[in-house]
Amino acid sequence: MNDETKKQINQRYERELDKGERFWPDTIFKDVVMSLGIFVLLLLLATFIGVPADPKADPSDTSYIPRPEWYFLFLFKFLALYGQLPLIGKIEWLATVLIPAVALGILTLIPFIEKSPRRHYSKRILPISIMTIMVVGIVLLTLVSEVPTVAEDGSKLLGTLQTVAGIFIPVGAYILLFAFKNNTRLMLWTTGLAAASMILISGTVLALAPQKAAEETEVATTLPDQIIAGQGLYSIHCTECHGDDGAIAVIEGVEGLEGEKITPINSRDVLYTITDASMIELIAYGRPNAGMPPFGKTYGGELTRSEIDYITIFMRYTWDDRFEAPVLPELFPPLAEGEAPSYDVHIQPIVKRYCISCHRAGKDNNNYLMTTYEEILTTGDNVQFNLIAGDETSYLLQVIQDHAIMNPDKPDEELIGVMPPSKTLKPDIVDAFMRWIMNGMPQTAADAAALSTPTP
Amino acid sequence: MWKNIYLWLDERIGFNDLYTSLLDRPEPKTTWWNTLGSASMFLFVLQGLTGIFLTVYYTPSPDHAYDSINYIMQGVAFGWLIRGIHHWGATLMVLVVFIHMLRVFYTASFKYPRELTWLIGIGLFLTTLGMGFTGYLLPWNQKAYWATTVGTQIAGTAPFLGEFILKALRGGPDLSALTLQRFFSAHIWIIPAILAALIGVHLFLIIKHGESHWPKKDD
Repeated sequence: MNDETKKQINQRYERELDKGERFWPDTIFKDVVMSLGIFVLLLLLATFIGVPADPKADPSDTSYIPRPEWYFLFLFKFLALYGQLPLIGKIEWLATVLIPAVALGILTLIPFIEKSPRRHYSKRILPISIMTIMVVGIVLLTLVSEVPTVAEDGSKLLGTLQTVAGIFIPVGAYILLFAFKNNTRLMLWTTGLAAASMILISGTVLALAPQKAAEETEVATTLPDQIIAGQGLYSIHCTECHGDDGAIAVIEGVEGLEGEKITPINSRDVLYTITDASMIELIAYGRPNAGMPPFGKTYGGELTRSEIDYITIFMRYTWDDRFEAPVLPELFPPLAEGEAPSYDVHIQPIVKRYCISCHRAGKDNNNYLMTTYEEILTTGDNVQFNLIAGDETSYLLQVIQDHAIMNPDKPDEELIGVMPPSKTLKPDIVDAFMRWIMNGMPQTAADAAALSTPTP
Repeated sequence: MWKNIYLWLDERIGFNDLYTSLLDRPEPKTTWWNTLGSASMFLFVLQGLTGIFLTVYYTPSPDHAYDSINYIMQGVAFGWLIRGIHHWGATLMVLVVFIHMLRVFYTASFKYPRELTWLIGIGLFLTTLGMGFTGYLLPWNQKAYWATTVGTQIAGTAPFLGEFILKALRGGPDLSALTLQRFFSAHIWIIPAILAALIGVHLFLIIKHGESHWPKKDD
């Protein structure tokens, strides 16, 4: 750029200044309004949307689908599409390093690449077209980032469409733009058609994409929630051996561990000497030599890091006398006179606390599973007798009231022992089961309400 | 008495000079698009303030990071608000800086005499992304852990230097306490220091050259 052009530019700017405004108060007024607007927006976002809770990092959870921050999603998607290309798709660093580096390099050096002093858009059709296609591509790749490239039935249609919209059209448009670089009209047509077709194809992809139910990860954030979550997990995974109060010193009725002596885990010996971190490791790794299996996913168990945390919190706040437990809600809302309990509100929490520990897949339980409403009604070797609507002799009601069911063929042998084997249920729980079965096992709160006899 | 204090300070600082050189400057007619730069700076200051509050309770170790943030959300008065602003402010800052860059590109404001301002601006854009990248790991939740795993992996695919970059970012072959520690250090000391310095230069250049005017047909 020669001095003459520079002088012209500076004079041109001086003329604009003469027609312009003062920084204080004109310009700064707009700035302040904008910043205030952003601040209010942030307050609203923080208050009404907040920060979604997510479980604690769990390096062992290999099933987790990793996703980068949202502003890198387009790059992530680009890499996935690029990987589908034949031949060059295998050379990973071309897409991860070279292409982003070149794009960023061009962007950085743009003042030295675009040397013309002209600023009005009508004289900058080529750079503006390139940038527009780039921005449209980035926005669209971000939008389709959740759509898989290969559908569950193996169809590659969605992946192909995405590759066309995200790679082929932009690359084709760039080639055309440079071919037409002296013809404004053709450049505009190229950009417009490329952008329109990219938007159209991406819209089709989004419309065809399988509707995924929003993943629900339940995260307990408040202390009461964490204690309740821990108690739920404890009663499923730990009660068999340690008892629901953690007091068991000699294991009974567990195959392979019969008569094994253990330290009661509700004792001070355990709670005062084992820190949270050690307790978590202990639950995760187990005590294989002493018969305790590993529970953490890292070592082949079922529990995530967060879940083991909750169990530890439950143990502390329930048995450790240095910790004062907050007020916890009741297991189920107390029943009024004539009210019929429902599975959803009353029975499910009871079953989860006292039954699922054994009545789930992989345990010795006469094939009676209780993890869902359907399972409770339709599984088990004695399914026809377990729950009979309106019948007090239903097996389930008998065994929870201390009446074992005897084998009809061999009268001195128990067919089903007393349930739960090592504990007597409290009267209000037995009452809930009784009312539930006498009312025909309603599932939802609405069903139960219809069956309830209103109290006068 | 206030008058005497004012006069004493004025003698030493020179309010009038400040006023004429910083505030009472001529500008071309500006539009709402011209506010995005100052909005970015506002967000930077806001992120700085909320970030400082967060460090009071945050613990950068894998054992405690998650629980310390849970405590900020549940136990600290208005902790949820501070963290909420910091969380959404990060998202908004990336967005606002990006749109600001697009505005400068479309109005060709990077041309003479503002080329250096553009180069510094690219630096600001990259450091903002760096802030987002390092900050995302700090809550030490599943999203954070795996996003950083993937992010560092992608950086590790570079030819020749890949393994070195990967290990330098992670502080070892795997994500560990060291990764969290260095991301924390980068997030609260290294990158903000660079960012603040670049903002200083960027502002100086803007005041020196003035904001560019909206291009007209004859530009």
